[in-house]
Amino acid sequence: MSAAAQPEPGLSMEEARHAALRLMDLHGQGPEVDDLLLRRIERFCNREARLLDEERYDEWYGLLADDLFYWMPLRENRYRRDRRGDISPDNMAFFDESKADIALRLGRINSNLAWTEDPPTRHVYIVSNIEAFETAVDGEYEVHSTFIQYRNRVEHDEVTLCGRRRDILRAVDGGFQIVGRMILLPQSVLLAKNLSVFF
Amino acid sequence: MSGFRASDHVDWEFGTVDRRIFWEPEIYQLELERIFARTWLFVAHESQVEEVGSFVTTYMGEDSVIVARAADGAINVFLNSCPHRGNRVCFASSGQGRQFTCNYHGWAFGLDGNLKKMPKMGLYKSTPGFRMEDWGLRKARVASYKGLVFATFSEEAPSLDQWLGDFRWYLDAVLDPEDGGTEFLPGGATRSVMNCNWKFPADNFVGDIYHALWTHLGGAEPTLGRHGGVIVDNKGSYQVSVNGHGWEFNDSFYGNAATMGDRELLRYMKSRQDAITARLGKFRADMWGSVASATIFPNFSFLPGYFTFRTFQPKGPLKTEIHAWTLVPKDMPDDIKDRFRRGSMRTFSPSGILEMDDGENWEFSTQANAGFVTRNQRLCYAMAPGGELETEGLPGHVTAGQLSDANQRQFYRQWAVMMDAETWSDVPLDTPAVVQEAAE
Repeated sequence: MSAAAQPEPGLSMEEARHAALRLMDLHGQGPEVDDLLLRRIERFCNREARLLDEERYDEWYGLLADDLFYWMPLRENRYRRDRRGDISPDNMAFFDESKADIALRLGRINSNLAWTEDPPTRHVYIVSNIEAFETAVDGEYEVHSTFIQYRNRVEHDEVTLCGRRRDILRAVDGGFQIVGRMILLPQSVLLAKNLSVFF
Repeated sequence: MSGFRASDHVDWEFGTVDRRIFWEPEIYQLELERIFARTWLFVAHESQVEEVGSFVTTYMGEDSVIVARAADGAINVFLNSCPHRGNRVCFASSGQGRQFTCNYHGWAFGLDGNLKKMPKMGLYKSTPGFRMEDWGLRKARVASYKGLVFATFSEEAPSLDQWLGDFRWYLDAVLDPEDGGTEFLPGGATRSVMNCNWKFPADNFVGDIYHALWTHLGGAEPTLGRHGGVIVDNKGSYQVSVNGHGWEFNDSFYGNAATMGDRELLRYMKSRQDAITARLGKFRADMWGSVASATIFPNFSFLPGYFTFRTFQPKGPLKTEIHAWTLVPKDMPDDIKDRFRRGSMRTFSPSGILEMDDGENWEFSTQANAGFVTRNQRLCYAMAPGGELETEGLPGHVTAGQLSDANQRQFYRQWAVMMDAETWSDVPLDTPAVVQEAAE
């Protein structure tokens, strides 16, 4: 039952760097997808958000491609004149994951021993501003979106995070799989005690 | 605070702590004065400011400071606040430059913090009694130990070497295991906030392995299995305390690292064991990545094995900002460094499967004290199995067994002594034994 039961393929350092550079390079250069495809992509995003809100993590895990690269880089305050890029795959990150790493994280939740998720957190994940473009790879789409993610626990404990996602979705039988995801939070100091959550 | 005596709030013999020290704004203000404005505080790793003109900004207590490498190669630390109208002079977390110019009126300061120039300088030149040298950014004393840069605004503070004392001998287990020194992995600090008093995370790291057996059951299961592969007991394990700094550890060599769940990483660490043992001796080599945690008083902590180093920056009595970095030997292969980067992130960062469960504890340990009755019941720091036998032949105060509150009692003892001390001469320091060098 647990997603963590069998090990999933990881990424080598080179593969992860390649995936990161690909995500960094997504700026909507390709042609826009047609309305029907956009509608299907929106439906996928909405469903994904609902699975996360309802803690249906094993189903969500099924949406991840085996060659997944899932990344939330750190943001640092730097002057505009600074020649170092704002974001680099060599830097520390909040998430820098292969599918196997996601399985480890789900193992914590599925252990039923993570006291901080009991009673459970209540989530609302709003995904909006969806744009989708063709990529150089047939059947893979570049998808941009924004999100607001609200969490509440116990009584007064709440966190609202908003940000931007850049995804690469791959068309598979009957739907899509997530191949790449870059999550950009605007915060340089995470104004929350944890990221016990997926984006 | 009239009549306040910190030593009335801590019983470091049996082990109780008055909960008001985690809550009262007046006590917090006194901490900023008597702890943070007085002790040596960690400000940067030398690798963050390697080139001339490179800088990082950080905090010493609630004082914003700049750490900059000057043209003469010296690392300077000075207040990040213009003495003209008080505005911050640097808004970047890191960068490179020749000067820091205040946005308000354009006063410009050099990499040594000295006032260099300002618009309409002639107006000041013709002002009787005005001297440029009186209006630099206030400088701190700076000293390093094996790559770690510390600073203090106290002229009376003992030297950094005296302050760290025999703790240096143990520090070499993580700061000097390999040739070539260490570095922080790139990208700046991972920063996050917790609504907790800064002392809870500091006391957790100084000597609380006990919590791991319960708090981290869920986080350890995916890598270690339900009944765990890492053994924590009082055989072959210790707590050492020097001047309030503390380290609890066992002799497992890579017990902490095992919870990152990366077999390649463990294979690599194992391959280095003979060389590190030859360099440091078996006792300290076994500490390198073992089941352990440590705090350098008051708020700089690290975890061997994950090699996360972090400061718990106070932001009021009920709020703490965590700044974390990952430290690795410079000469380590890139692929292994990358595994530490991801491994430490996945365990000890805001998204880390272990750290996530810590913050929750510290927040509610703090917030519960809103209740008047609650905060007037003392907390228990009494665990002392077998009465804690002192171990002979090792530097510092060493007790057998990592499962105990020994270091935490010493941490709060140091806290109380410094809070009550009018001057540094009222703060007794442990006498160091001879400190031997890590490498032959």
